[in-house]
Amino acid sequence: MQLIERYAYTNRLRTVPPDHKAAVALLVLLLCLALDRPAVSIACIAWMFLLVVPVAGVPARTFGRVLVVEGGFILMTIPGILISIGPSAPSDSTAWSWPLGPLWISTSAATLWQGIALVMRALGCAAAMNFLALTTPLVDIIELLRRWHIPSVLIDIMTVTYRSIFVLLESANTMYIAQDSRLGYLTSRMRAIHNAALLASRLFVEAYRRGKELQIALESRGFNGDLRVLPMTYRFSPLFTVLGAVIMANLVLLWAMA
Amino acid sequence: MKTLFEFENVCYRYPGHKQLALRNVNVCFPEGEKIAVVGRNGAGKSTLFLHCNGLYRPLCGRVSFRGRPLAYDRASLKKLRQQVGMIFQNPDSQLFSASVAQDISFGPLNLGLSEAEARRRVLEAAEICEITHLLDRPTHSLSGGEKTRVALAGVLAMQPEVLVADEPLASLDPWMRLTFFDILQRFYDRGKTILMATHNLSVVRYWASYVIVLQEGQVVFSGTPKALLTNRTVLEQTELSRVWWKVDPGFDEDEEERVLVSTPSSAESTDGEGKSFQFSADGDWSI
Repeated sequence: MQLIERYAYTNRLRTVPPDHKAAVALLVLLLCLALDRPAVSIACIAWMFLLVVPVAGVPARTFGRVLVVEGGFILMTIPGILISIGPSAPSDSTAWSWPLGPLWISTSAATLWQGIALVMRALGCAAAMNFLALTTPLVDIIELLRRWHIPSVLIDIMTVTYRSIFVLLESANTMYIAQDSRLGYLTSRMRAIHNAALLASRLFVEAYRRGKELQIALESRGFNGDLRVLPMTYRFSPLFTVLGAVIMANLVLLWAMA
Repeated sequence: MKTLFEFENVCYRYPGHKQLALRNVNVCFPEGEKIAVVGRNGAGKSTLFLHCNGLYRPLCGRVSFRGRPLAYDRASLKKLRQQVGMIFQNPDSQLFSASVAQDISFGPLNLGLSEAEARRRVLEAAEICEITHLLDRPTHSLSGGEKTRVALAGVLAMQPEVLVADEPLASLDPWMRLTFFDILQRFYDRGKTILMATHNLSVVRYWASYVIVLQEGQVVFSGTPKALLTNRTVLEQTELSRVWWKVDPGFDEDEEERVLVSTPSSAESTDGEGKSFQFSADGDWSI
């Protein structure tokens, strides 16, 4: 998470208006879902790689690692699609099947292809979201939601939650070190679990205290129920816009040709 | 000497606590001074400060600002909080926004300023606090000293008349303290008032022009540092005489008698306005 954060703030597409980046990400996501062809899915991943790595300057390793983690989760859902279990052998003669006690486990070339196509499609969509996450910090996304007139209550909750994640991470880390330095995690497994539970409950109290402090600090600066801050300024990038259009055209073309 | 804040018989008790946090506090804060508030942990320094901004309401007694008792309705509080800026012990509790520039803009926008004016204020405050290069950074990536200066900028951008700082030095290294005091001095030079709670007795001696000593929720002394140093009763009652010479290298125990009776040059310099301050290597004040 910290890694994604770092590149989101330092990449070369940082100053491109977040509307444009979000538009590209969302359109690619939609096209990837709607134009259901493995070629389109692969093209999505390839285009997103191009935008994230050579264009934005994020290392290929980071792009790959994030995608692999997501791929892991996607693969976990695949057995359910590939394998079917029933009380009798499948009627389809092209299917492969094995008896398992009173049940039959079966799969077929068709479902295998379906599974692969599904994984590619999910990865294509994931890549589109990764592009947004790796090039656009949450501050910009919050800014974007503000411009899209999302209710300010939701935006305020997002802002404070996001900020609190880091504050609490830091507290949790400090507490963990304090416990660890007094051998909290080195004696028995049971003690370690107990101490982790202690940490979690303390963290809850800490979160409450922080919340109160924040309330006081905001009030002292004239808080009136609405966290208003200055909008950011961005630079229009013709290159990015052209590239976005090319990507959309290419995806539609690939689909039409297939 | 014009009075900025006046506390009359102020009591305060935290909900669920038996003891009073403030017990019949009677004190005046003079305007245009560098006021240090000292006292042991739990003496009521933070509680006192939170009353200055109308964040806490006294249980009994009253607080006045520039001769007028504080009113606690929305409009009055808004006006008061523009004039009285607060920075807290822990800068993390003060910074809510993920972006530095946006966090600083929060106060000015709450004052109802236009975006252009708010932007100008942000830049100005950032320049005063020497954080212009941090404006685009995410808040959570800052160091402790940077966070303190951002918190300060967020307050200065509201252009307050008074700055109330609750132990701001804790997270600052000696170099950063120097910068921090430079910023305060610039603020003070424009005729503004600074209230600072501190455990650093050198700051009391060399920086402050007025001192308030709190003990167990009561104000036991208010006056110039010189007057404090010559007030044997208070020094002994608060045990300041026991600790002071140990934490302040300039405070010699053998010299104490002379300090208490006469006014040696070191004590005299406490009211020397406009003098330049320097840091010695251990981060304490010297002149």
